[in-house]
Amino acid sequence: MRSDVQMPAALVAHQAATSAGDIAASAEGVVAGLEALIMDAIPSAHDFAFAGVERAAGGLSRENWSLDATWVDATGAQSRHLMLMRDAAGTLLATDRKREFAVLKALEGASVQAPKAHWLDYDGSRLGGPSLVMDRMPGTCDYLVLNGDRPLEARLNLARAFIDLMARIHAVDWRDRGLGAVLAVPTGVPSLVELAHWEAEYRRVRLEPHPELDYVLAWMRLGAPAAEAVVLVHGDFKPGNALVAGEHISAKLDWETAHLGDPLEDLGWVTNPVRKREHQIAGAWEREQIVAAYRMLTGHQVNEAALRWWNVFSCWKLAIINLTAVSEFVAGRYDRVFQTPSWLYRPMFQLMEHAA
Amino acid sequence: MRPTVEEQLLGTCRILEKIVSPCVVDPYARTILQGLIGNLRMLTSALPAVAGFLRSDNLATAALLGQLQADVTPALAASIAQARVQPEPDAADMTALDQRNAALRELLSQALSDTDLTPAMRTAALTHMRARASAAPMRYVSTTSPSPKKAS
Repeated sequence: MRSDVQMPAALVAHQAATSAGDIAASAEGVVAGLEALIMDAIPSAHDFAFAGVERAAGGLSRENWSLDATWVDATGAQSRHLMLMRDAAGTLLATDRKREFAVLKALEGASVQAPKAHWLDYDGSRLGGPSLVMDRMPGTCDYLVLNGDRPLEARLNLARAFIDLMARIHAVDWRDRGLGAVLAVPTGVPSLVELAHWEAEYRRVRLEPHPELDYVLAWMRLGAPAAEAVVLVHGDFKPGNALVAGEHISAKLDWETAHLGDPLEDLGWVTNPVRKREHQIAGAWEREQIVAAYRMLTGHQVNEAALRWWNVFSCWKLAIINLTAVSEFVAGRYDRVFQTPSWLYRPMFQLMEHAA
Repeated sequence: MRPTVEEQLLGTCRILEKIVSPCVVDPYARTILQGLIGNLRMLTSALPAVAGFLRSDNLATAALLGQLQADVTPALAASIAQARVQPEPDAADMTALDQRNAALRELLSQALSDTDLTPAMRTAALTHMRARASAAPMRYVSTTSPSPKKAS
């Protein structure tokens, strides 16, 4: 089973102690906490200076702070461009910062563009909430980059680079890198393990009955596919979780949902019809091209019926994430208003009919 | 009553956009404010439709449960029968309409979790759920920052 079926203890404690606005959201609080965190790791550090401290507008699940830090320690003068990710009181995804930190550490040196992680404040004792500090990579995050202003060929090159990155993530030797101990190897069929994880989330966050989601859940239980392989799955693979510098992907971000599972989970996420604007280019980079490219890069067969199942799962999981936002908003811990995701129901039903 | 709820919501949007928004410089706060204004605008049109939607959905859900009743377990069938004989709440009593809706939909959830439904019942359920999704008055308003965010 996945190790994060339960909400992480550190986040539970954090939520119990805070409500929206209670966290010291000021730049001063972030700077003071970060300085303490660095001193925990590097006791000789002194003469700190921080510049450009700003909370990014994006980030639906966590607070993202960018800043530049300099200090002097026993090895000399240091300078870092940093990104600090701190759990907000309310979140779309209840995930474990310790686990994400361990994944990033394990990926150091791999042929995957993941930022280098530096420090972890697991219990939020320094920063007021569980936090992770990593290198700030160059580039721009635009969730619609594949349908932006660039010429078609440049967008196609990026689209190919995204699927190549997915293939490289799936090719990571997770055993060799010790990720089996960090992420828990699925003890059963990965699709059923993931379904159990997200069903637990559904039971935890739902505020009212959703017959539509129960209907789809029953359907998914009946047809859960076997996995062709067990790989490192990113879990939220999208341009909105990546930085693009020039014409290249400089970093894949947001590894909080990474786990070991079925490679079709990520492929099902990017071929999900409801997210075409993010992952596809009409007439040039659609489901057929994406799957063909993925097959060529990985050698995986990609069973079409299994991929349809993962498309349905992607919609269903997205619905549960929406319900988490609704629950957190009602509890006074989340600052954005989400609605019951009825817009996802009809696409899900349609996908189920096509899969039949 | 003037100003009506709609007038107050629209007026609030106007004031937030013209008076408050220009003073908000923090990127995160601006994104949140834009999302809230968008949601208030959605509510302006959705709010008057909610009571009618709930009343209509309660009738449709009760009718569907009546069709499903023969296909479900005896215990669930008894619960459905009991729920169906309850009187419909007053059309103006939003709380009662909401509670009735939740009770009926809980029964529908249980019925649709049964994988032995006949094809005809599945078709009826899907038709109902599609129609409900189309008619739901509350709509998601994007809260994502519209412009790319430079990371460094």
